Amino acid sequence: MIKGVIIVNNHGKPRLAKFFQSVESEALQQSVIRRVFTQVCQRPDSFCNYLEGIIPEWGEHIKLIYRHYATLYFVFAVDSQESDLGILDLIQVFVEALDKTFENVCELDLIFHSDRVHYLLDEIVMGGMVLETNISHILEASKDQGKLHSESLTTTDAANNPSASQIRGQLQSGNGNGWQQQGQYSDKW
Amino acid sequence: MATGGLNLSREFFELLKAIGESKSKQEEDRIIAREVTVLKQKLEPTPPGKTSPLQNKKRAKEYLVRLLYVEMLGHDASFGYIKAVEMAASASLYHKRTGYLVCSACLSPDHEFRFMLVNQMQRDLQSTNLLEICGGLLASGSLITADMVPAMSGEVTKLLTHDSETVRKKAIITLHRFHTLSPDVVTEEELFEKVRKVLCDRDPSVMGSCLNVIESMALREPQKFKDLIPSLVSILKQIGDHRLPTDYDYHRVPAPWMQMKIVRILGLLGTADANASSGIYEILLDTMKKADIGINAGYAIVYECVKCITKIYPNTKLLDAAADAIARFMDSRSHNLKYLGVTGLAMIVETHPQYATQHQMAVMDCLEDPDETLQRKTLDLLYRMTNPVNVEFITDKLLLFVEGTTDLFLKQQLTTRICSVAERYAPDNAWYIKSITRLFEVSGDMVSGEVAQNLMSLIAEGTGESEQEDMQLRQTAIELYVQLLREKPPAKLPKILLETMAWVLGEYAYLSTVCSLEDILSRLCHWNKIGILQPSTRKFLTSAIFKLVAQAGTCPPQAAAVIDEYTRSKDPDLQQRCLEFQGLLTTAPQYLGEILPVDASAEDVDVDINLSFLDGFCQEALANGARPYSKPEDDDDDDEDYNLSSANAPAFKMTPYAKPETNVSRSHMIRGMGSGGMNSSASAVTPPPGGNLGNSAVTSTATSSVAGDGLTLNTRGAANVWGKKTAAAPPPEPAAAPPPAPSNPYGGGFSSNASVGSSSAYGGGGGFGRSNAYGSSGSAYGAPAPPVQKTPEQLEKERQAAALFGGIVPGAAPPPPPAPAPPPPRPAPAAAPPVAAPPVAAPAPAAEIDLLDMGAFDVTPAPAPAAADDIFGSVSLAPAPPPTAAPPMVETASFDEADVDASVAHSTAERPTTASEAIEPVDPFAAE
Repeated sequence: MIKGVIIVNNHGKPRLAKFFQSVESEALQQSVIRRVFTQVCQRPDSFCNYLEGIIPEWGEHIKLIYRHYATLYFVFAVDSQESDLGILDLIQVFVEALDKTFENVCELDLIFHSDRVHYLLDEIVMGGMVLETNISHILEASKDQGKLHSESLTTTDAANNPSASQIRGQLQSGNGNGWQQQGQYSDKW
Repeated sequence: MATGGLNLSREFFELLKAIGESKSKQEEDRIIAREVTVLKQKLEPTPPGKTSPLQNKKRAKEYLVRLLYVEMLGHDASFGYIKAVEMAASASLYHKRTGYLVCSACLSPDHEFRFMLVNQMQRDLQSTNLLEICGGLLASGSLITADMVPAMSGEVTKLLTHDSETVRKKAIITLHRFHTLSPDVVTEEELFEKVRKVLCDRDPSVMGSCLNVIESMALREPQKFKDLIPSLVSILKQIGDHRLPTDYDYHRVPAPWMQMKIVRILGLLGTADANASSGIYEILLDTMKKADIGINAGYAIVYECVKCITKIYPNTKLLDAAADAIARFMDSRSHNLKYLGVTGLAMIVETHPQYATQHQMAVMDCLEDPDETLQRKTLDLLYRMTNPVNVEFITDKLLLFVEGTTDLFLKQQLTTRICSVAERYAPDNAWYIKSITRLFEVSGDMVSGEVAQNLMSLIAEGTGESEQEDMQLRQTAIELYVQLLREKPPAKLPKILLETMAWVLGEYAYLSTVCSLEDILSRLCHWNKIGILQPSTRKFLTSAIFKLVAQAGTCPPQAAAVIDEYTRSKDPDLQQRCLEFQGLLTTAPQYLGEILPVDASAEDVDVDINLSFLDGFCQEALANGARPYSKPEDDDDDDEDYNLSSANAPAFKMTPYAKPETNVSRSHMIRGMGSGGMNSSASAVTPPPGGNLGNSAVTSTATSSVAGDGLTLNTRGAANVWGKKTAAAPPPEPAAAPPPAPSNPYGGGFSSNASVGSSSAYGGGGGFGRSNAYGSSGSAYGAPAPPVQKTPEQLEKERQAAALFGGIVPGAAPPPPPAPAPPPPRPAPAAAPPVAAPPVAAPAPAAEIDLLDMGAFDVTPAPAPAAADDIFGSVSLAPAPPPTAAPPMVETASFDEADVDASVAHSTAERPTTASEAIEPVDPFAAE
């Protein structure tokens, strides 16, 4: 299971923190973030991307699998049930999806649109389990949401929500149209 | 990046900018505090008639995102939670998602607001709007607690057959989550059945998410999933053959995550099951070959295959393939792959050590690597590949790391591991002694005391095969410790090493060729001057000094000074030992050799529990007109008179008491006071057994009458220890003592006070209890037979009681330091000291002998570390249980057909382009 996903920048400022196994208090969450950062930031990029650090808040056998992109560390804390290299690639998928969503994503995007980052992550990992790894499906889902979200902004509260058939129609067209092309490998920030 | 047109307010932008530019945590905190006040204003309920700032939807959402941000930076944003809950109920999807998001990120698992969301989530799950359903599912996955599962499980179960695959895949994961939260509501059987259906879902991504659930479940109950092996194999085969839509490819590898998951599940199912394993050999080899295309995603699959191969029933061909893959990982320049290589190697060498040899150099490289993760993994590997041949080298390496690391956790782990490999594989005893001594030096008190015990008994007993070898061994140990003694300042050495050294030197110092006995003695005496020794170390030290003095035959002034100093120790035990030794030295030095014999720590000691050697003495006393001894009902604990207690000795219970009830032990303490009052002066002189009589003659009625007035008197037992201060003790119980209860475990007539004494006002009584305990230990020294063992609870209670008493009586001497941990219970005969020459009825020597028994060391012969006889202990491979019959397929077949039909219809209708491909993964059984 994935215990949590934390994105911190090079200065240790959290950019996203998602706990799938909740820790008890706000203070503990902060200490987890700090601990993760201090363990990760000491390692040069040439080292391997695994860290068998201990995060007592999550239990003992936790492995940190991280990737470092320009100014950000993407850290997944996992237990032994996850594959080491698999998660590493999953981070890559996540980042590629972010890149596609925000068109050349950068650190500020994550701050200003943390909600959308969360939604994107929701499509990849759910309740600590890998939900979807297919990048086109991930993007599809988040794009549909984005569309409907902006629509729902124009409707009033009393409101005619888009009916089921409408949504289906939209989804169908979404299926038909795009997202066929495979995402380019992107490591840029 | 463009902020323009992204619905950001100026405020938010400024806030983020300010935080980005803040130089310190304090500054950041200030900015956030300001933001919190702003948000509070905006989010607070608006009075009717005014427009709430939340009317503007974009703004309202942004406020919540800001709230999330504040929370993420570690500040309390609970004032806004209620708004988040409100928003989750909004009709606008945009708001709803944001509301749910903030709730799931901020609400703690037991937060009451979670209950407010249940209704909303239920509504969303029933919605016709796809995204509302998804939102509801995502929210319930993270917000549900065990109590809420019953309200939601029905809805989620329905969604497993929803039209949309996004809903289905979320539903199965949510259902699994419910199961982990509340196994009674979503039962294992139910989930089990659902999972099988979902595995055959027409959409590959639903199947993929379902694999996670299967893995979690199979982890606990592999048996139940064995019949899925053929289906899984078939799915894996289809994926490998590129039968999935191409958008599942990741860098040309078809659906790598699904492949990994399936391989992992197969590994779980094939563990220790030859039959199940045989069904997956082929596909594993196939998968490995196909995945090995030189990119990470492929390596990930190969690595999972390697793990799987080491888990399942072994197959030579596969193992060779796995070893090849590992070799490639090890030789890779990528640290990530090296890491996998080392991990993989560690897995494979445990059962198949032959694969390790070719990687020795690579392993050494990893060990030198600056990357700590890699180092640790390599240490782990080393530990696992230890055998009698390489144990010396590996132990050296491990010791080097223990010395170098600052990580306590790692240090502790390595220490335990070194002990374990050293005991298991030690090539010879001399090496063992050296390594463990070195370990003591670097790890100090992280080593468990047991290891020191084993080491000392090994030195004392040797192998038992040849006396000459044993002496050789002792000689080695002595030279080692003498060297340490000369070279290292004792303040730098950890306690466990000091104690071991003290004991070994005390026993065998005469074997040293480089250093004279006197020299060693004086160096030991020198310890006392440096630093602060632990109480237990002091006892080891004094014991060693006693022994060396006895061996040398003279007591050099330094030793005398140390002993003299400790006669004023606050630790009564130590004090007593020193006093007794002093007495012995001055009055009967001729017995020193007998009392402190050379190299006799491992000898068995016969104990004459009937004390027949006292018969002559008693006869004489009786002849002189002493009253004959009548057996008391209980020994009075605070007799510190040796004759008295030795006369009592046969009455001692030799077996430990049952765990005492609280009030019993209190009564015991109080009785100490009462009886103390009784025979106060009698015991100051050595009384004839009759003195004891007085004591035993005190019946319960006598005690209670004494208790009335006598207790306020000076009590002898206590007074002797604590001086008159004890007189300030609060008067104990009222005189109205209940009738005696002779069957009390403490057996005393005095126990009649039990129930009275149990009232809580007896802190003072507790204090006496402590003195009482001391008394009893005093008599224990006197009596050749060992005293009744105190249970740790008792000791602890006494210790606490002593502390309490120290507070009650102002100006009273501080209670003695907590008694050192009670020696482990041991068989009485072994614990008893060697009895000195029988006719010598002198109590002191007898007591002195007991002193030898300071630690628990020269007692129970602990088994010497088995040198090399269980080398293969760890290597043994558990044979697989007998194969089970081939898993029946009937069960799944029934729904399978229907499902397949449906899926064909669906996919042809909906997605003509991919139909043929989509069907394949759906239909795992097509192959059969």
